[in-house]
Amino acid sequence: MPTRRSLVVSSALVPLSLSMRPREARAALKELRYRLIEDPESLHSGQSVSLTVSTCLNFLHDRLIYLDNTGKPQPWLAESWSFSDDSRQITFKLRPGTKFHDGTDLDAAAAKFHFDSILDPKLASPLRGTISALESCDLVDPMTFRLNFSRPFAAAMILFAASAYGFNSPTAVQKAGRQYGRRPVGTGPYMLKSWSAGTELVLVRNPRYRQLRPDAVNKGAPYADQITLTVLPEEGVAFSALQTGELSAAELQTDTVDRLRRDPRFAVVTDEKAKNFMFLEFSWRSPFDDRAMRDAVSHAIDREAIVRASYSGYGTINLNPLSSGIPGYDPSIGATHGTPYDAAKAAALLDQAGWKMGPAGVRAKDGKEAKFVLRSYASPVTDRALAVMQSNLAAIGVQVSVSTADWGTFYPSLLRDDWDMALNRWTYNDPQVMVNLFRPPGHRRKLPADAELTRILSGVESTLDPAERQKYVVEAQQAILERRLLVPILTNHAITITQAGLQNYTFDYLNQILHGDVRMSDW
Amino acid sequence: MSLPDGATPPPDTFQAEEPVVARRRGGFRWALGRLLRNPSARIGGGVVILILLCAAFAPWIAPHDPMAVDTLNRLQPPSAANWLGTDEVGRDIVSRLIYGTRYFLLICLTAASISAGVGIVLGLIAGAGAPWVDAIIMRFIDMLLAFPYILLVLAIVAILGPSLWTAMAAVGVAGIPGYARLIRSVALTVKREEYVEAARALGASETQIIVGTVLPNTISPLIVYLSYATPIAALSAAALSFLGLGAQPPAPEWGAMLVNSRSFLFTAWWAVAAPGLVIFIAIFAMNLLGNGLRDVLDPHDA
Amino acid sequence: MTRYILRRLLIALPVVLGVLLVTFMIQAVIPTDAVTAMYEGQVTEDEAEEAIAAIRERFGLDQPWYVQFGRYVTHVMQGDFGESVRLRRPVAEEIGYRFVNTLQLTGAALLIGILIGVPMGILSAARKDTWLDVGAMTVGLLGISMPAFFFGLLLILVFAVWLQWIPVVPRGGAALLLPALTLGLIEAAPLSRIARSAMIEILRRDHIRAARSRGMSELSVIMRHALPGTLLAVMTVIGLQFGNLLGGAFIIEVIFGWRGIGELGVKAIQWRDFALTQAIILISAGAHIGANLVVDVLYAWVDPRVDYET
Repeated sequence: MPTRRSLVVSSALVPLSLSMRPREARAALKELRYRLIEDPESLHSGQSVSLTVSTCLNFLHDRLIYLDNTGKPQPWLAESWSFSDDSRQITFKLRPGTKFHDGTDLDAAAAKFHFDSILDPKLASPLRGTISALESCDLVDPMTFRLNFSRPFAAAMILFAASAYGFNSPTAVQKAGRQYGRRPVGTGPYMLKSWSAGTELVLVRNPRYRQLRPDAVNKGAPYADQITLTVLPEEGVAFSALQTGELSAAELQTDTVDRLRRDPRFAVVTDEKAKNFMFLEFSWRSPFDDRAMRDAVSHAIDREAIVRASYSGYGTINLNPLSSGIPGYDPSIGATHGTPYDAAKAAALLDQAGWKMGPAGVRAKDGKEAKFVLRSYASPVTDRALAVMQSNLAAIGVQVSVSTADWGTFYPSLLRDDWDMALNRWTYNDPQVMVNLFRPPGHRRKLPADAELTRILSGVESTLDPAERQKYVVEAQQAILERRLLVPILTNHAITITQAGLQNYTFDYLNQILHGDVRMSDW
Repeated sequence: MSLPDGATPPPDTFQAEEPVVARRRGGFRWALGRLLRNPSARIGGGVVILILLCAAFAPWIAPHDPMAVDTLNRLQPPSAANWLGTDEVGRDIVSRLIYGTRYFLLICLTAASISAGVGIVLGLIAGAGAPWVDAIIMRFIDMLLAFPYILLVLAIVAILGPSLWTAMAAVGVAGIPGYARLIRSVALTVKREEYVEAARALGASETQIIVGTVLPNTISPLIVYLSYATPIAALSAAALSFLGLGAQPPAPEWGAMLVNSRSFLFTAWWAVAAPGLVIFIAIFAMNLLGNGLRDVLDPHDA
Repeated sequence: MTRYILRRLLIALPVVLGVLLVTFMIQAVIPTDAVTAMYEGQVTEDEAEEAIAAIRERFGLDQPWYVQFGRYVTHVMQGDFGESVRLRRPVAEEIGYRFVNTLQLTGAALLIGILIGVPMGILSAARKDTWLDVGAMTVGLLGISMPAFFFGLLLILVFAVWLQWIPVVPRGGAALLLPALTLGLIEAAPLSRIARSAMIEILRRDHIRAARSRGMSELSVIMRHALPGTLLAVMTVIGLQFGNLLGGAFIIEVIFGWRGIGELGVKAIQWRDFALTQAIILISAGAHIGANLVVDVLYAWVDPRVDYET
């Protein structure tokens, strides 16, 4: 691929192309350019749950706490916190001196303002759905506030480290009204300068920023003068933009990564703390109400092949019912209780359960052929995983027909009774995800009543003491695996390609970047 | 040229000419003879016949099982074993392309049958029926046209759930207005012809007139229109694959193959180029055949 | 003339209402709403029951579809297009700039289509049945023989990555170049066909033959006598194409990151964000009907033989 432009052909276009190329004009300005996969919806931190919004908010907001590299909460904007004896109240004390971009102070009233905006039914915040146990927020003193929960909710401490709990300046919200989502004002390292809807967001350095995290390199105002976030949905376009130097960094699908990996102009940043989790679950209609059937399927899936096919190897196979990036993940549980790939064992299990191989390579039992329906949501990644699973199952005499749809069609369709298996993918920062998905009757209301499982998962949900909770998290993983409620498959790693000179572009425990630290080596 | 009807522009994009009525010259054999001498039609027709052959004899022609997954050998470049290389899960691309002809033909046939079938009936009723029937049908057609095409298709898929059949039906429904307008305008023109007036005066019923006079006159414009509209329908189905709503995995449908491999454009170009080129060749051939058919059947050129 | 336009608008009204009614009925059957779609892969309904109910109530999604329909029509007549559940802001704001973007894209694409397609069609007609004719018609097929997303990616590959004539992430007017070119080449095909057949038909007419027999040069015959009629035919097609273009540009918009209503429409359906879908459908239906009306009126204005009263 020629990378130098041909002088002869382009000479006629030079005046045009000079004016269009941003690179030439950038000499004085220290600018970093990143990719956004889509236009963020609203940058009001209390009004969206989307990943893109969270990516943007991370430039604009700091949070009460952050998770250190062992997954333990550490103070950030908060100086300290404490739990009440019944675990239903958390009291935070803020550090003095933090200012919003508009110069107003971050105090307990501003924090309460944010929590109230999540709680107010009139504002219909989608975040309310992620923290339904939260009931109210009280002011204790000017720098201290208390959160009251209807029941102990352990996942709260991890949620508060996410960008949705970055505080908005109450003054700015009141001034901008419904327009606030387009003019956010936070306390973070960068401030929003302009937003050309659907095209790009321009952020500028927050000059009065001070970084309170001890793990940050740069404790003062960020290195770059300006950050431009360009909306580039199409993978091929983002790839090209990296090659022409129009992007400083971009998260790419793993498909394109290998090519850039060998190119010295780029560096590859792998985020192995990813919180996503791909798994296969069952409808519990016959014969999947039979543990032997689920057991056989569990052993039939070649996870290595799926990691290769779906993510070009950029992922880890998972035998635990929890993403490998979530605190509480312990590979030894998968090793003892998991169902590693073993096609021979899977076939033997089916034989034992009475599923006899038929002439056409499809097993049958009591006149019923082993032909089942496998559903998923449509994406190139799931398509490939489905192709592998289909051939894995065919190898043990189980024939599956596959159908995919967009999420809005797929997910509600799982409430019906016309499927057998579903390939699902879930992203969540806390072991609470097991409670949400598998506490009977489960997220799609298919699981049979199970007092023991309910007890364990409720323990995961409501135990605030970390050591105590960890016991429940281990027990829950074992119980879910024992019952063969799901077939864990993999956790994939997010891959970011950066220009070789980009420094400190590293992910913290919650997959966030300390944007104040990022710089080009020649600045 | 004059405006056929106040509210209705000419029948369609590809057929703005007035349809011509009661062409006496020719007949089927005459048309076929001219077609065989037309270079566009020869090339286009040749490719279409090749596609038909591939579809009919796929199991004997294909060198490998089109579904056989082999993730250790994914995205292999073209070689003696895999003439066009392997795809993102290690399946043989040539074999998938060969089996894909079946899906391609299925999509073309189903979409065209729905569009043409419903379109012809609506067009005939509108063109030959009472004015108020005409008005109602034309408002319905206007609605179909005013509905943004792709949103209509997406909405249909959202209700029925995605499958190849839903996609084909959706593409078919979206194609109805073109046919209906074409047939209607032929019918309107034929109705005003002198010999039809004469037949009516001699006591021929409306049904007889429709079946005996109007219908035969629609054949030439219909064939020409079919040859233009069908490739567009096939491309629409590929567009649905772009949104993950077309053929279901692991069906070797060309559009889905192209969409699923497009992220390898820079790393394994053959996996993208192969389905892309095959779609291009097939559609291009159908369009060439369409040009040939128009040259032969379109009276303005005669 | 005024009466004609009024009559046409009167006919258009039930069509628009019908389209809207169908839209609401479809939405009533679609088995998800914006709230479920929003929580994709993150939150389960059991956990969030109360919050979800609050969102549904706030946006009126808890009402039966006919109530929502009635309310919507009343609001639209007062100029209020509602608020998007996903975007959390008035629909009109979002649609406004996107519609302008789409108009720019389709306008530029049409211009390219006309500039390429019409001369090609005329040339083809003037040299009918020669290799030039066959060649031009064959080249004209290229644009409509490839899936648009493939064609678009190829253009990026060639012009932005290999030749580097334009940036991959262009600014301002340059951003329009590739998407308009892709769409324009697709448009050129039908336009060249129409131009060709219209021209052939006109060239056969008696007054052209007369002009030729008077010894007029072929060029002036074409330019002075045949061109106006050809353009008239092209114009009608443009009216029809315009509606298709508006909605049909969606993949082009997605690939090139062009924020138009097509791109938003696809998202809106995936988000099940009905307030957005309704506005987009309304606006494209309006644009479709408007474009046809404008073409017909222009047509009548250019060609006085047209009778408005039929």
